[in-house]
Parts: sequence; structure tokens; C-alpha cells
Amino acid sequence: MHSIMIIDDERIVGDMAKLSLSQEGYDVESFLDGESALKRLKEKSFAVVVTDLKMKGVDGLEVLRNVKQLYPATAVIMITAFANLDVAIEALRDDVFDFFPKPVKIKDLKASVKRAVEGRKI
Amino acid sequence: MVSKHIMIIPELSQIWSRLLKLLPGRSAPPVSPRVVFERFQKVLASNNQALEIIADLGEKLGGDYLFDMRYVESSVEELIAAVHGSVLAVNELCGDRHARLHQVHERLSEDLRLTLAGREDREGPLIFTLDEIRPRNWALVGGKAAHLAVMRHDPQLRVPDGFVITARAYNDLIDHNGLRQQLTAFEELMSATEPEADLLEQQRSLIEQAVLAAAPPPGLLDALAQAAGRLPQTGKPLFLAVRSSAQEEDMDFSFAGQFTSVLNVPAQPDALFAAAREVMASLFCAGAVAYRRRVFPDEGKMAIAVVCQRMVDSRSSGIVFSVDTMQLAHDTMVVVAAWGQGEAVVEGGTATDTFQLHKGPPLRIAARQVADKEQGLFAGAESGLTSRAIAKELRAASCLSDDELLQLGSAALHLETLFKRPQDIEWAFDSSGQLYILQARPLVLNTPAREKALPVRVEQHEVICAGQGKVAQQGIAAGPVHIVNFAEETGEFPEGSVLVTHHDSSRLVTYIQRAAGVITETGTPVSHMATICREFQVPCLVNVGSILGKVREGELITVDAEDRRIYRGLVDELLVYRATSCINLMSSREFRLLRRILKKVSELHLVDPMMQDFSIDGCRTCHDILRFSHESAVQEMVNLGRDERRLIKGNIVRPMKLPIPTGILVIDIGGGLASDAPERDVPFQAIASVPFRAVLQGMLFPEIWHNNPMPVGIRDLMNSMFSPIREEAAEQYSGHNIAIIGGNYVNLCFRLGYHYNIIDAHCGEAEQNNHLYYRFLGGVTDMTKRSRRAAMIAQILKEFEFNVQTKGDLVTARLSRLPQREAERALDILGRLVGYTRQLDVRMESDNDPGKYAEAFLNGEYRV
Repeated sequence: MHSIMIIDDERIVGDMAKLSLSQEGYDVESFLDGESALKRLKEKSFAVVVTDLKMKGVDGLEVLRNVKQLYPATAVIMITAFANLDVAIEALRDDVFDFFPKPVKIKDLKASVKRAVEGRKI
Repeated sequence: MVSKHIMIIPELSQIWSRLLKLLPGRSAPPVSPRVVFERFQKVLASNNQALEIIADLGEKLGGDYLFDMRYVESSVEELIAAVHGSVLAVNELCGDRHARLHQVHERLSEDLRLTLAGREDREGPLIFTLDEIRPRNWALVGGKAAHLAVMRHDPQLRVPDGFVITARAYNDLIDHNGLRQQLTAFEELMSATEPEADLLEQQRSLIEQAVLAAAPPPGLLDALAQAAGRLPQTGKPLFLAVRSSAQEEDMDFSFAGQFTSVLNVPAQPDALFAAAREVMASLFCAGAVAYRRRVFPDEGKMAIAVVCQRMVDSRSSGIVFSVDTMQLAHDTMVVVAAWGQGEAVVEGGTATDTFQLHKGPPLRIAARQVADKEQGLFAGAESGLTSRAIAKELRAASCLSDDELLQLGSAALHLETLFKRPQDIEWAFDSSGQLYILQARPLVLNTPAREKALPVRVEQHEVICAGQGKVAQQGIAAGPVHIVNFAEETGEFPEGSVLVTHHDSSRLVTYIQRAAGVITETGTPVSHMATICREFQVPCLVNVGSILGKVREGELITVDAEDRRIYRGLVDELLVYRATSCINLMSSREFRLLRRILKKVSELHLVDPMMQDFSIDGCRTCHDILRFSHESAVQEMVNLGRDERRLIKGNIVRPMKLPIPTGILVIDIGGGLASDAPERDVPFQAIASVPFRAVLQGMLFPEIWHNNPMPVGIRDLMNSMFSPIREEAAEQYSGHNIAIIGGNYVNLCFRLGYHYNIIDAHCGEAEQNNHLYYRFLGGVTDMTKRSRRAAMIAQILKEFEFNVQTKGDLVTARLSRLPQREAERALDILGRLVGYTRQLDVRMESDNDPGKYAEAFLNGEYRV
């Protein structure tokens, strides 16, 4: 069973993502901030990390950098309310798997996670 | 391109306009149709932008999107701006005639922002009378009071008068007594996913005690004195029923029996405050907190209001479920009644009469079960309720006469229609036989367990009990028995046990949420406890009779709360479903907030432009404002073609050449004509305007336009010459037929001899922008004949689903928001109608004629 991590400072987002992704058979853990998420990452690897971009303290970009350092094979999907072009470019440069402006259509997120997970098998 | 048909010199026109402005009382010079049309397009554009945002917000409620509060907040701000744009645009179009829309919009926007900030219940009056409450006050007065207020306005229902101590007063009490920090900490703990049980209980108890000891906030006692003083006096001392009205109560969740009610309270400020304080404190009682954690798992915040109503001296009272929840039969309703006050029914424990009514129509009594009623609750002389023994001759007598039952049934049906859902109703008949409705809320209905392998026989299991009792909530439950005896309350309920007890008390809520199933020896399916079982979807059988002696503490049993069988042991065949304990997101704070926002934004009250409440004052939501704005804009466009002299003087006017003996002058405001259209003798083929083409097509339909005018008798002609024709009509009767056209627009004023048609239409690909407006007035003969022709036109147009209004010889018809194809078809019909009715009124000799000629038209028989 693949593990997915969700990071968003609004609980409703984590709850909804957890509910829908669990339905697909994934083992999902959600976090309200970057720090606790990074702490968990030191204990366990995840197939996919879905993270909000703009958060207080450790933001999405820092999460991305840390994940890529620890687990280069882990796919990072960015979701954000701020569809900022400059940030997008910077993120693409750092190898974000996918990028969704909020509100995110859950169907699309599921498809992206599926692609990310299947990509790993290769 | 300057044409020799322009009949005015630009510079002179400017000088003239300036001169006009200097003259007192003169309005600004008229604006060209093209500019008017552009302003109209601006209204459409803002409206569409706003409607898209509303649709976008609504889409998120479906659960298919990850959204956060930031999205909701930014969308609401965008919406406020878009609606503001619409209000500006419609006022620019209509010469600021609707300036008052700005105030309405500002008020609504403020309310939306307060809602988003969770502060709707901090501002407003301390007390509302029931009659003052409006739907937008919901957050301040709570669900129960909001429903009572709606019922108060209904002349068919009798609801005791009273007032509400608002959530603002509750918040003031919290602040005045320095409890805000403590409350916030408790609310946060409530929202935690897995709070420490002991800590939660400790904090809960502390805040409950604190509220019970709280001092009244400034102004409240005076306000109470005033409110009680204003209630009409009857000569007898005034007593009030003081009950809860929490924000979410009686909306999607009943909170049945969880909050305190204090009945028969003397109408003095101190007594009322003490009672209200008890009610407010019950927001933090163990049962209510357990209930809240179950249905709102991550929402700690909830405020409470208190309803105070005149006590009804109940002779009999009880409950009506407008749908029989036991059989899930929508054609039957259930009435449960007791002597005295209704608490006896909802708190279980006493014998009650049960009746079934068949809704029909006609409404009729289908079954009666009269019980032996030993006790009843009645209002005490000083305050509160007392339990009294029922007189011997009344014990076995029915609490309700047949007439009263039917009266109650009618009221229940009426309430179902009023609130558009099945209802759970509390009622009372007083000593003089008057029926009062005390409460009405949505009835909690659950569909039966979907999957169930129904075994034909389950032989290897002993049946403890079969066919006894009533189903309060369907389903299968299995687990170890845990007997609850309130006399020896232990407080610990083993999770997953089957709760077995004597009384069906609402105090069981803390246990119910941990129970696999519930069995009670007494009780009714309409009690508070039963309602909670349904809401929590815990299978429940009530009134099974003696069972406590038949089961042992801890032994495993299986309850089939569908076929009403209780088995010893676990019956695997029956255990086909597992209770899911997933997060119920639809009741999360964000979803509930979104639903509340959408209610204030998208509920449409201004439905029919022909109705009187279609006014600025009738606008309650953003959608209402948009609708009003759109209709006003359309009205303005309709009047565009009025002043034909001005139109002809100020614009390039091109005469058409048509194969029918009628002249039409065309004014193109952009895209209405083909680029190579000639200056005069414009043929049908040169018309690019979609709606105008459709109308012309109708007018040119074979047989529509005869070459011979109808025979007009001398009498008819004399009639028209000597009857006073309305002035407004008179100036339009003479003159030209003018069509103002754009690519997707037409405003056609058709003056055919003695009558007058206006067709105004916007018709293109954007369905939401399409509208058709038709007005017909006049005729050459007497009023009776002219009215008959109007009736004929109305009949025809109704067949094509127009919204039609007639008044004498005036017909107005509208259609809006339809696809382009259908709009073109409807315009074609209008074109045919214009030709067909040309002089038909002289034929309208008898009252049968409208129908006759309408039929002929609808059958395509255009030759009269």
C-alpha cells in the first residue's frame, strides 16, 4: 500500500484529501504545517507528498527542497490558492511533479497521484 | 459614413443640447440607441460575471473539490464587486432611478462579511419579538425561533406570541462575565480530533457552572421587562415557556431534548433571566456536548438564543410526524398525544395515545390506539410543571376528538407544504379547544439499511423477542448487552454494546453515540431519544415490553430492528454491513459556512417580474439584486422605441422593402445589417440581426399577411372614432414602424393601423442573456372586442410557455433564459401573431371567438 502525505494549514483541505485518497486505497497522513511534516519525513518515506505552497513557517518550497534531498524518487504535488507564475517557474525548476491551483478538482488530484505512484514502479 | 439621410447637423445638435441644459426643468439630451444598448450590454456582462461566481461557489458544495476558507473569502469579495458593477451599470442605463439598490447591496455585503468573520451573532438587538424576525436574522435567533417566526406570519397557524433573547445577548453575557478566554479554549478543545476525555469533561463542567452563575449583561434586564410588558395582557398572570434556539437547532440537526427548557416561568425580568441562563448553560451540558461532537466533529463554536413564549394551558398536547417513520410511508402521518403538557410525550416514560392518519386526499383517520394514561404534566400555580394523576374517567379516553385529529392533520399537511419537507411538529390544544403549534422542524428520515441478506429462517439462534415494539431506527445491531439503570448511573458505557433500558430518555445521548443498538421497554418512535437514534443512525427498537428480565449483562445479542426480532448470540447472516466511522465532511465548519453564504447569495425570491414583490425592497440576496437589475435593464430597452420622432431625427434610418404591405424603418446599432446593405429598400436578406430575422420570418409566413384588410363595419369605425383612446397610445398610433437592431438584439415598435405591438428581444448563443418581451395594445373597435382579442393572444402565447399578463386590451408576455433555437422559434411565432391579429378584433363578436381563433392559429390555419 502506497503512502501519501498531505500538508495544508487548513484542516478541511487535509480532511477532504485524506478521505478521497483513502478511498483509492492509499495510506494517507495529513499535517497542518511544514515543520511537523518534515519531522515525520525523517521517520518514514512517502510515495507522494501533496503540499500547499503558501504556509506560515516552513512553506511548500522548503518542503519540496527537503523531500528532494531525502527522497529523490518521491513525487511532490503542489496545490496553492495563489497561482503565481514566478513561483511556478521556480517550482518546475525544482522538479515538482504537478501543480494545481485551488480549488482543486479531486478527480484531477487522484489522477495525478495515480500517475505519480505508477511512475515510481518503473 | 455620412449619408444624405442624416437629418441633423452635428454642431447644431450640440448647441441645441447645451441650450436645453440651461433651461430649467429640462432633462439631459437623449442618448443614442447605440449607447443605450452598450450600457445594456454592461449590465448583462456584470450580471453574468456575478452569476458565474455564485455557480462556482455552489459547485464546491458537491464535495468534488478541495477548497479552503481563503477561496470562499476571495470569491465573496469578487462577488460583492461584481454585483456592485451590476448596480452601477443598471443605474447608468436607467438614469439613476434605482439608486436605492446601492443601499440594499451595501447592507447585504456587510452581512456577508460578518458571516465570513463568524461575527453574525455579535451585532444586533438583545431581544427580537417573534413578529420582528426576518430570515436574515437566523444567526442571531437560531433555527427554532426562525421557524416559529415564519409560522407566526402564516394566518393558517396559531403560534403563541413571544420574543427571543438573541445570540448577541449570549455573547454579551460571556464577555460581561469575563468568560471569553475560557469559552474559546473550550471551543478549541471541542474541535480537536481526539481531545483528552478528562480534560474535556473538566472544562465542560467548569464553563457550565460559570454560565449558571453569570450576571446579566448591561441592558438585558430592562430589555426583558420591556419585551414582557409589550405582550398583550389577558387579565391572568403571564407565564412563559423559555426554550433553546441554538444556531444549528432545527435546521439539519434536531438536538432533540439536549437543551434545557424551563416551562411556566413568571414573566418578570429576574425570573426570565434565571431561566434563560439555565437554557444557555445547557449548551455545555454533557448530553449537548456529546451530541455536538458527534454531528459537528470539528466545530467547537456554537452560540445559543433563547425563545420565550406565552405558555399554553394545555388540555392535551403531543407530536405529529407528518411521515410515518416506522413504515417510511409518505402517505401516512403519526400523531402521539397525552393529557397536559407535551414534555410527557417527548421525554418518554408515560403512556400515550397513538393515531395514524391517511393523507389522502381526503385526510382521514386510519387507526387509533388509546392507552391507559395514568399521569400527566401540568403547569403549576407558582412556576414549573407538576405531575398529576389523571382523573379516572379520562384515563382510557382519547386525548383528541376526531375533529381535533383532522384539524391537527390539516395543520401538519400545511406545514409540510410551507417548509417543503416532512415535519416533526409539537402541538397543544388548550382548554377552550384552540390548536397551537409550538414547534416545527425537519423530520429526520433515514432510508433503510441498503444491504441485508434476509434469511428465510435463522433457526440455530434463540429468539428472545419477536414482533414486539416499534422501530425507531432501522438496521441490524449486534454486541454485548449493557443495561442502563438511571438510578445507579455509572457513567461508563462500553463502546459497541447494545443499550437496554426501561425508559427512552433523551439523557441517553452520551451512551447512544457509543452504542451498537438501543432497546427500550417503553417509549415511542417520536421521542427525543428516538430522534437522536435516527440522526446517529443507531438501530433502535422502542416499547418492546419486558426485556430486562430476559437478557443478562454482557451477553451477546443481535437486534434486527427491521423485522423486530431480538436473537441470543451473534447472527452472522444478519451482520452484513459495518458501521463506517468516516469524517462527515458535509457538516464540517467550512461546508456549513459555505451553505450559509450561498443561502444569502443565491436564493432567489424575486421570481416573477409581474408580481408586486418584484421590487428593490424585495431583494434579499445577491441573486435578487442581479435579477432586479436585469429586468430593469430589459424594461429600459423596451421603452427605447417609444419616441419615434426623436429616433428618426437622431439616427440613420433605412426603409425596408418587404413583400408585405407594411413599412418598417430600420436603425442599426451595430451588427444588425449585412455590411453591403443598401441605404434604402433594405431586403430581408440584408438583415443580420438574429432575432429580427426570426420575427420577419414569422411575419412573412405564407397566408399570415393578407393583401385585403378585414372588413370593418361602420359601427366599429364609429366606435373607434368616438371612444377616448388613451393618450399614451394615441401618440404612438400614428406614425412609423421602427426596428432598432443589433446582431443579437431587436426592439420593434409596430403600429399597425389601430394597434400597437412592441417586441423586444435579446437572442444569441449565451442562453442566460436571452429574453423575449412582447406587448400588445389597442384595436379599432369597442373595449369588449379588444379584450377578446387580447384573450386570444394570451391563450396562444401561453401555449408557447410565455409568462402572460392581460389587463383589458393590454397583453404583456415574457420568456427568458432559453436556448437560441427556442428563442428564434418563439420570435417567429410572435411575427406570425402580429400579422394574424391585425384586424381580428372586429371579428370578435362572441365570447367563443377568442378560443376559436386561437385554436385556428395553433393549428396553422392562418387564413381567417
